Amino acid sequence: MENETVRPADEFATQLTAFIVADVAPNEGEINGDTDLLLTGLVDSLGVVMISDWIENELSIVIDPVDVVLENFQTVDSMVTYARSRGALTES
Amino acid sequence: MLSDLLDLSRNEITASAPAVSDGTDTLTYAAFVEAVGRLTSALIELDVAPGDRVGVHLQKGVASFVAVHAVLRSGAVMVPIDPFAPPEHASSVLSDAGVEVLITDARQHVFDQLVESVTLRAAVVRSSINALPGAASSIAIVDWDALASRAVADPVVIDADSPAYIIYTSGSTGQPKGIVHSHRSALAYARLAAAAYELRADDRLANIASLHFDQSTFELYAAPYVGCSVTVVPDAILRFPANVSELVEREQVTVWYSVPYVLRQLTGRGALDTRDLTSIRWVLYGGESYPPDELADLMTALPGASVSNIYGPAEVNQCTRFDLTEPPAPDAPIPIGRAWAETEIVMVDEAGNETPSGPGELLVSTSTMMDRYWNRPDLTAASIIDRKFPSRSRTRWYRTGDLAEANDDGDLVFLGRVDNQVKIRGQRVELEALDLTLRQVDGVIEAAMVADLIDGDLSLVAVVETDRGAVVTLRDVQRAVAARHPRAAVPIDLVVVASLVQTATGKIDRNAVLSQARRASSG
Repeated sequence: MENETVRPADEFATQLTAFIVADVAPNEGEINGDTDLLLTGLVDSLGVVMISDWIENELSIVIDPVDVVLENFQTVDSMVTYARSRGALTES
Repeated sequence: MLSDLLDLSRNEITASAPAVSDGTDTLTYAAFVEAVGRLTSALIELDVAPGDRVGVHLQKGVASFVAVHAVLRSGAVMVPIDPFAPPEHASSVLSDAGVEVLITDARQHVFDQLVESVTLRAAVVRSSINALPGAASSIAIVDWDALASRAVADPVVIDADSPAYIIYTSGSTGQPKGIVHSHRSALAYARLAAAAYELRADDRLANIASLHFDQSTFELYAAPYVGCSVTVVPDAILRFPANVSELVEREQVTVWYSVPYVLRQLTGRGALDTRDLTSIRWVLYGGESYPPDELADLMTALPGASVSNIYGPAEVNQCTRFDLTEPPAPDAPIPIGRAWAETEIVMVDEAGNETPSGPGELLVSTSTMMDRYWNRPDLTAASIIDRKFPSRSRTRWYRTGDLAEANDDGDLVFLGRVDNQVKIRGQRVELEALDLTLRQVDGVIEAAMVADLIDGDLSLVAVVETDRGAVVTLRDVQRAVAARHPRAAVPIDLVVVASLVQTATGKIDRNAVLSQARRASSG
């Protein structure tokens, strides 16, 4: 069955970055794909919940708690990698 | 002195035993004392003298523990600063405490903002801070990584009544308020906590609280008191309950102390069905109330652990404890319990008369009481009173501003605050100070911050009246608050009303405004 929410990876990355800048870390300026969002304190624990909820809604997937870990959420790039591993993204 | 805790010749300390770990680095007591002594030597060379205030502005980790003990070893007064606080807030704390020497891992732009508004003369930096702007170029910079080549300095001997650290909370006007604890009170806390929770050298305490939050005094001082180890849960890990549970399992943590929020995240999203957390023998929580049904979930998830509710404002550290022997009933509040050792508590009514079973304001007298508020004799005089109660032996009392009553079992039950203070995820927030910030947002005429239970969490909601035609968004309000206050103070919702309800005397009627906000949200 084709998942109608599957979208190109680069489009998803752009939307995710825009969401983080607008809603999660509004005072923090520019964010790149490899900006460390966690070690620098850009995103706090509520921010992580906001981001994982947003990804679940946007991609119509359920993220298992064991996948909500530092390794998958450290940067926008790592979130894209995770989403791709879930089959929720196509290559542009 | 607290530096005596790290005397390797004490019987409690085994030099080769682990002292502190953050999941990546581990230091034995010997290595920990060496690292502490090296940083102390750098501080002394920077002319840090007993009584000087030294700021510790670091994310949690092995280094933050080293920094705290190095400042104490130098005889200086440790001032912890939230590394995630907006620079404006950090600056006001640094200025109020008169901090001239700072230990920091701040990013460049944060550091630049700090040195613009605070007169620092030296900084020990754990990050790559580049050339300093203008006037700040005279600041002496010591690179943390260059400390390894230094000699280990002996502790500077000072009196036990000297100040050890100053913990800041926000005051009612938004002005920071510094709580000064002496070496004597901190050592008393270490001793009482070690006895109360039966700490042993083979324990491993999880450090969840940041340094600027007084819960961290448990791991900072009670652990070396008995020679056990601490696993610091780094801030980045703390955002991921599944990482936290993995770290706790891997490090075999035995005693946990945090606010309920972190534990609720752990049971809700910590993937506990895939982890073995049976090493935990005692869970302490405090700072806010725990929803009883969720506490029952925690006790089911950790059947082998004792669970205790801890109460105590930062001014007195801990002062009561309630041990849960079975999962709580879903509808009754969980008591804060009874006074722990070396502590007396009385309740007084509005007229100041003792009321044995309440409700009344809690007055606390204890060996772990603060010395004073920093540079605020007015506040100190209003908060610490000398009084003889026939039923009690102690005479120096801290007025908590907290209301309580005794239940049928004689346990104290927390009822709320006398003033407009609330706790969000364990952090004190003064609603009146936030009202002032809200009123400064463009387009806002009148405003009140209210606290409401939303999805089980006490959360802040900004309620505002706007200028005709003005559009004020949640984002505008969040930005304004985030620029001046800790993160916990940022509201999660905004309600615009035609007119805020006022009392007969023209003050904002906060309870009525809360009802207004609820009606507006549900409608």
